Amino acid sequence: MTALKSLEQEFPLLDINFQSFCASHSILTIADFLTHDLHSLAAAAESQPASLRLKEGISQVLSIVDTLHQPWLDGLELLQDAMDNKRVLSTGIAAVDSFLHGGLRVGQLTELAGPSSSGKTQLCLRLASSVAKMDRGSVVYVDTGNSFSSRRIHHFLCENGGPPSKQDDTGIVQRVMSRILRHSVFDINLLFNVLHQLEFILGSQECMEGCKVQLLIVDSVSSLITPILGGGSSQGYSLMASLGVLLKKLAHEHDIAILVTNHMVGGERGNPKPALGESWKSIPHVRLLLSCDYETNTCNISTLKHPSLAAGRSASFVID
Amino acid sequence: MDPWKLPISSAIQRKRLLSQSYTSHASASPSDLACADRASDVIYLLLIEPQVITSKFSVFSFLFVIGAQNAWDILLEEESMTRITTSCAELDKILGGGISCKEVTEIGGVPGIGKTQLGIQLAVNVQIPCYYGGLGGKAIYIDTEGSFMVERVLQIAEACTEDMAEYGRFLGKSIQARQVEMGPKDFLENIYYFRVCSYTEQIGLENYLDKFISEHRDVKIIVIDSVAFQFRQDFDDLAQRTRVLSAMALKLMKLAKKFSLAVVLLNQVTTKVIEGSFQLALALGDSWSHSCTNRLILYWNGDERYAYIDKSPSLRSASAPYSVTSRGIRNSSSNS
Repeated sequence: MTALKSLEQEFPLLDINFQSFCASHSILTIADFLTHDLHSLAAAAESQPASLRLKEGISQVLSIVDTLHQPWLDGLELLQDAMDNKRVLSTGIAAVDSFLHGGLRVGQLTELAGPSSSGKTQLCLRLASSVAKMDRGSVVYVDTGNSFSSRRIHHFLCENGGPPSKQDDTGIVQRVMSRILRHSVFDINLLFNVLHQLEFILGSQECMEGCKVQLLIVDSVSSLITPILGGGSSQGYSLMASLGVLLKKLAHEHDIAILVTNHMVGGERGNPKPALGESWKSIPHVRLLLSCDYETNTCNISTLKHPSLAAGRSASFVID
Repeated sequence: MDPWKLPISSAIQRKRLLSQSYTSHASASPSDLACADRASDVIYLLLIEPQVITSKFSVFSFLFVIGAQNAWDILLEEESMTRITTSCAELDKILGGGISCKEVTEIGGVPGIGKTQLGIQLAVNVQIPCYYGGLGGKAIYIDTEGSFMVERVLQIAEACTEDMAEYGRFLGKSIQARQVEMGPKDFLENIYYFRVCSYTEQIGLENYLDKFISEHRDVKIIVIDSVAFQFRQDFDDLAQRTRVLSAMALKLMKLAKKFSLAVVLLNQVTTKVIEGSFQLALALGDSWSHSCTNRLILYWNGDERYAYIDKSPSLRSASAPYSVTSRGIRNSSSNS
């Protein structure tokens, strides 16, 4: 948070006298200022020698704060933004697309939970190849378990027209595949690093045309969070919450669809439930449950939570 | 704009930039920055002069610099990567050629099915020289149960040497004349053996492996036999066990990716009560089942040993028979 000291250059009203007055009330940054009781601060300013100047300083800080908030949007502007920017990304599987009424929505954080080898990574790879084919932006795949398979991406891209025989086809496949970036991350702090830098790059004015990111996949976010959760301290929970905030901010401000995968743990009476606990449940916008029937090789997807679809519905599909 | 004119707070940072030979921004091309040893140096540059850097960079260049790769490059790399053979043709076929490097493979099965045998076979096969189609690397064998029998390793190494000699004769004398032949004792020399007796030793060893492998870069496989043993006793707090295991899994994944080696974890089985009936499941719980890239389950089918691919991002689910002979893991003797 910005220290009051650093504002002195730009706003000469907040001089050393004002700063020492605030410091005597243990206010050193703007955050401290906002959490302090302003009436009692103004009353304390009354008793000081240069009271008028101090009170002007207080209203100066308040006006600085006023300029820093997010702009208001009315319902019509939100609808316009939703229609222009917040598209729906097809997953490449017709059954899943119709189940989700189009696919994954841009601007939302979707969680995919399921037991081991139920098809989570396959669905992520399918989605990545489908979005890369659309050529509206790049795909960033954060891989925590070395399970990114470029061979499967190649298979998904080539399956419609058979293996590329002509020179042009190979060039097209190469161009599409070079839009998918895989980053291996094995530490939660490194993930924060990557997300912050991504936010910085996407937010900078001079970002080039090739800058657009349509889809961010984190496979799997639970393997990064599980080592820090619990153990008496609440640091793990706060890191998880701030990760959720950062992901949702990235999704909304930069028009990215974000998909994270989660694993299952044993719950009550032996029924498995998604990992990461109760506090995680409120973080994603959409929560999907995946399961696989090994004999028939069909996967089953159902909704646990969705902002616009009823929960409890399910659909079956096959990934070849 | 020269680095020494930039508003950098400390002299140490300035010196670091200069030591990377960034004498001017014009010289800080994406390829130069890609050679920067530390991502923090690059991120620092981005923070100082963002408008200059971002005009040259797209998201791609930036992500490349911090270590990302695009899917096409990964595909080319994967196709040229050698896999570690298991000496059983059927098993190699379902594995797409063998155990692949840069991945963590978990192998689980009932006692006596041949997990340790497979682990020893892989530790020997990783050393097959490149001119015979192998990796020519060394192996690290971490033994938690004490089931590593040196005499057996010698037996398997001798069989491997004989097979290699036969293959060399098949290819013609030209290869043999140029290269030095490996004997069974050389195979034993190239296996680094660690014996751990408690879970703290196991965790400490995993932390040490990073330094060890940096000094012994030709290590191409780590076999942990078995990963579950030390964690199934003396652990009162299961939540802590989950945390410790998931941290260990991340470290192993990082080792596999960083040094391009294969990590093979051998796991035991336990019984799970589901709806009143007993079922066999791998030890260490549900959350551990997500800590590997591939999983192979070894099971009995009548009198035959079978291997089944339970989890893999790129391989189809399939079963293959194999057998354990005096020469090691080989094809199943019966033809079905």
